[in-house]
Amino acid sequence: MATQTLTKPKQDQSVEQKLQRLRELYADAPEIGQAALKNGLSMLTQELAAPGRALTAGRIGARQGKVSELTVFLPFVKGGAMRLRGFLQLLEGNFRAADAVGTVHDMRFVFVDNDTKLLFATAYDGDFDPYIEDFAAKIPNAMDLWLCNFEGYPGMRNPKAAADWIAKHQIAAEAWYVNSPNLTAAETRRLEKIGQAVEELLDKVG
Amino acid sequence: MSFVEEPVGEKLSAHAPTLDLDEIQAIVLRPRPAPYFGTHVLLRVDNAQAGRAFLRRLAPHIASSANWWNAPHTWLAVGLTYTGLEALGVPKESLQSFPEAFRQGMAARARQLGDEGVNNPKNWGKPYGTGQVHIGVSAFSDSEEKHQRALAIAREQYEGFSGVSALALQHFGAQPSDRNSLGYKDGIDQPPIEGSGVDPLPGQGRPIKAGEFILGYPGEAGVPLPMPQPDILGRNGIYVGYRKYQSRVGAFNRFLHANGSTEEERELIAAKLVGRWRSGAPLTLAPDVDNPALGADPKRNNDFNYANDPNGRQVPFGAHIRRMNPRDTQLSRLTDVNLHRLLRRGSTYGLPYDPNALSEADDEVPRGAIFLFMSAKAMATIEFLQQEWINDGDFIGAGNERDPIIGRQEEAATFTIPREPVRRRLHGIETFNVLKGGEYFFLPSLSALNWLGNLSG
Repeated sequence: MATQTLTKPKQDQSVEQKLQRLRELYADAPEIGQAALKNGLSMLTQELAAPGRALTAGRIGARQGKVSELTVFLPFVKGGAMRLRGFLQLLEGNFRAADAVGTVHDMRFVFVDNDTKLLFATAYDGDFDPYIEDFAAKIPNAMDLWLCNFEGYPGMRNPKAAADWIAKHQIAAEAWYVNSPNLTAAETRRLEKIGQAVEELLDKVG
Repeated sequence: MSFVEEPVGEKLSAHAPTLDLDEIQAIVLRPRPAPYFGTHVLLRVDNAQAGRAFLRRLAPHIASSANWWNAPHTWLAVGLTYTGLEALGVPKESLQSFPEAFRQGMAARARQLGDEGVNNPKNWGKPYGTGQVHIGVSAFSDSEEKHQRALAIAREQYEGFSGVSALALQHFGAQPSDRNSLGYKDGIDQPPIEGSGVDPLPGQGRPIKAGEFILGYPGEAGVPLPMPQPDILGRNGIYVGYRKYQSRVGAFNRFLHANGSTEEERELIAAKLVGRWRSGAPLTLAPDVDNPALGADPKRNNDFNYANDPNGRQVPFGAHIRRMNPRDTQLSRLTDVNLHRLLRRGSTYGLPYDPNALSEADDEVPRGAIFLFMSAKAMATIEFLQQEWINDGDFIGAGNERDPIIGRQEEAATFTIPREPVRRRLHGIETFNVLKGGEYFFLPSLSALNWLGNLSG
């Protein structure tokens, strides 16, 4: 959580240099883009002048503040897509294991390429690797139940191999934005509780 | 084995040991002597043949864990860094079989360890982090005289020989009442290892699978952890994270004085920071006043959990011992506490703790602690602890607060003491222990030591 390194340590570039580079990139852009660059220059100048916020999430993936992204394309085994779709429909949006993990902000399951692949994308806190053995110890069945539907998945009984398998299919996001980069899932719940307590207190006073 | 002395007197379990105790180095299982005296010797190998010859001479003096519950209080241990294994001419396939973090070394893992700011390896003392530390030899004993004898045996194996040079001799120990550099009794809570031959002390919890600590045995997941190759090199070995901290005793005392106007208040704050009174008595069992007899009793001083303290009224969530072993605390992240334990052999160096040291000059007095953190995956566990349990508080509901004792603090750091009706928040927490150096070592088994000493080429 405290480990933070810039992914692209090009902080020595001046705003002028960045703008120059941008003009080069957009020299052959469609007309709409060229006009937008000209008209949007003042706002862009502010963005380009701000200190970089892009970090890395452990071995792969992007991170902002405490929140990381994980995006994977997973190839279904035969029949895997149908099975997983059925399973997800039965869950009706209840993900107890994700609640238990405590670091997961969101998850999306998108079936692509004629149900041959799943695009799975999630926002979570911290780095992925440090907790993989905890997943293996605490929620191996929840993990195996959905990941068994993909080719080459080694199973949670081999946490190191499972982590490597996920990393192998991971595609690092080129850019990653988080509105509240220092609000972890746990902190959000803690603040919710405090907010409620404060409201109750105010209700009594008022 | 060069030492024959009185036994430590641990209680032998009804379960016979299942570990190869005569292969595992003594430091892995023998508890730290009390009182303790010792030296860490850091050596560089300039010539592979000379390095191996040194290991061959040293090997007969390295104690094993055989009968560790009834063994002498004096021993020598030896570990090798990755650059040390390279310098000894270990074959490339073997070198590649070590985990990445070990190969890179502790200084290169600063990002993963959060060793930034004041703890940045740039600020470390020599020879740490230079890649020149190849071999570490540690002498532990319960008397200064026997410590000097053990150290002399180690020195005889390299002094007067070319090709191996001592870079530093770090003496430690001999503090009044075995207190650490901030005045606490330490080293109390150790994880119990299955098959080691003695029953866990009350409160230690169920024995943890040996493979979590010693290479070559099944771990908690039922299978052995990855091990350096060939087997003879890896089996019965253990990794060690060596971390040397300097205690800023002046800053620590100033913090206590700023927040407590009487001796009693200051001692209670000191206890809240750690979760134990300085005597070792846990706040859970002695919440209001110290109980030195309890602190001194190994059968009672660790026999507790947090079932009756779910709100942190006795032991704050951010307290050092609650972070380092949350026991049954409800954590905000899915965690198996048993997967993140380390064996510790702490060693205090320099002047003893001085409660009257209040000046900034007192912060610069060289005194502190050298921790040896040991397990079959020590690098990964230390990185986990540094990221999650030491330099963050989210996992246990302590927000952005960090470990008040070994955390690296940022500006305006706080420490929260839960209380009725409202919590007390202490401001002005500083980095009280500054990292001055560190290395990753591999402690080979006695057979592996011979294998290394007899490499050819």
